[in-house]
Amino acid sequence: MSLYEHRRTASPAAAAEWSRRQIVMTDLRSVYGRAYPRMSGMLREPSWMFFEVLLPFLATSAFVFVYRALQAPPQYVGFVVLGGALTAFWLNVVWMMAGQLYWEKAQGNLELFFAAPMGFMAILFGMAMGGMVMSSVRAIVVLVVATVVYGVTFEVDQWFLLIAVFLLTLAALYGLGMVMAGLYLVWGREAFQLNQLFVEPVYFVSGLNFPVMSLGLLGALAIATIPLAVGLDAMRQLAFVGSPFPPGTPSVEVEIGILIAMAIGFTLFARVMLAALERRARRVGSLSVRWQ
Amino acid sequence: MTASTAPVPVPGTTPGLASPEWGGFDPSRTSDPGSGAAWRGFGAAVRLGWQMEANWTDPFLFFVYSVAKPVSAALILVVMLSIISGNQDPEYRSFVVVGTALWSLVLAGIAGLAWSVLDDRERYRMLKYTYVSPADFMLHLLGRGVARVAVGAMGAIITIVVGILFLGVPFDAATVDWVGFALVMTLGIVAIVAIGVMLAAVCLQTRQESWSYPDAVAGALFLVSGAVFPLSVLPLVAQAIGLANPLTWWIQGVRDTMFPGGVNAIGGSGSLWMQATGSVAPDTTTTILVLLVSGGLVTLVATTIFRISERRARDRGLLDRTTGS
Repeated sequence: MSLYEHRRTASPAAAAEWSRRQIVMTDLRSVYGRAYPRMSGMLREPSWMFFEVLLPFLATSAFVFVYRALQAPPQYVGFVVLGGALTAFWLNVVWMMAGQLYWEKAQGNLELFFAAPMGFMAILFGMAMGGMVMSSVRAIVVLVVATVVYGVTFEVDQWFLLIAVFLLTLAALYGLGMVMAGLYLVWGREAFQLNQLFVEPVYFVSGLNFPVMSLGLLGALAIATIPLAVGLDAMRQLAFVGSPFPPGTPSVEVEIGILIAMAIGFTLFARVMLAALERRARRVGSLSVRWQ
Repeated sequence: MTASTAPVPVPGTTPGLASPEWGGFDPSRTSDPGSGAAWRGFGAAVRLGWQMEANWTDPFLFFVYSVAKPVSAALILVVMLSIISGNQDPEYRSFVVVGTALWSLVLAGIAGLAWSVLDDRERYRMLKYTYVSPADFMLHLLGRGVARVAVGAMGAIITIVVGILFLGVPFDAATVDWVGFALVMTLGIVAIVAIGVMLAAVCLQTRQESWSYPDAVAGALFLVSGAVFPLSVLPLVAQAIGLANPLTWWIQGVRDTMFPGGVNAIGGSGSLWMQATGSVAPDTTTTILVLLVSGGLVTLVATTIFRISERRARDRGLLDRTTGS
């Protein structure tokens, strides 16, 4: 039986009473529905492959050649390649998670989201899922092509742990994206400018092309607060076993703990914040309406 | 009312945008208003662009936001350099700092025009109205891009100042070739804007996600511009592309005129330039001449691509299309 089939009820209040199954199924459909345009959009706009996959690979290559010009040890080229792959997810979080609700508001969709009978977290999960698929294509291409072209050698002892750290990093990154989505909605026009601020400065403090602990205290702060920094550092330690890391670099176990705390903390915080925003949107009205 | 009592139309005498007093249609309004109106339109676009860029916050925060990006980009490379060479190569460090500083201008110049298209079409939904207004569309976009170029220039200047004060970039005002520098900057900015026009043409055809395209294009050009490493470390094919790229000559021209005597990005042992010409590196005059020619060609190509894109967008109704993802 369809979940949306008409059923006779005694009152509107009774009609609004949904079973647990109805709620879960509607949320799952919402996740799929929100992820769908992102995934199908990849196929409908072929130029995406050129601008979002090939060109970023060339940008990563520029830093590879910087190290080559400096005659750096080969594992540094590997650091750059791994960093270049993870930037796909960071840019996706900044542009297509954090800024998305603000765009939806500007486009007039946000009030429909608030009015629709599904959890708002389902919308954000859908955005995240679609974004992860998009970014994964770019990350895989950068990783595979750069590895082949530049002869990067990964020395991995614990593949399972590396994959687990990668997934935890994604969970923490997209959790942060959900938090930022709510904050951007409140901040309005500043959101667009924040996107600018969250690219190169975050790349720098996260040690995108070098071990983050080379920055000393700043690096330690980044590991404690930025999922990109801690995830990248943990993945480097696992993907380049035997490479020297600066003194003070936390162990992989500690970094896994930080990532788990970030993933849970950010997601819960996003949930609480969005619930508050949703209440405010329904009460005040202006939050979700275009141009307000 | 008879014909003898009707007011006599006096075309072209109605001031401003008010309706003619005689109530009819003034055909002179459809004629070419001349360059004065074009400049007024350009000026209005510049003012609009600046307001949109700058009026969202207070000047201090605006300043911080504007310089954080280029300074961080320079610091990434400085740290990479210090990890590998341990600050043993100050010449190369100043090479890198100047290259990344100038690159912020490239990023801003390329992004300004493309984002104007996306802002107006997807965000404010004004592109169709702008397009049908009497102002020239390309001139309007150029005006909108000026504000971002100004922000980029501010970032570049601050990064160079930080480089001179804290990162050991050698600078002696007495050795600067100011005339050559002014010439190189003018030609370079024209070339940057031309690349921006090309990207605006692309964004007229693509969907909302094109926000990240300017960064992607600039990132790819970064590889073949000799901004942070000499072209000679690249394969010969990539070096050839770099030599055809006006940005390569612009950055080298700025280095030659403002910081003479440093590392040359174009020449050097093993470079394609040396193999082709036999000279170690191009002199300043050659650099400026090649910049002029390559910049002129890019401008010509950009204008043509933009006109083709504009026509296609009009034909297919892309000017008022909005997308989501």
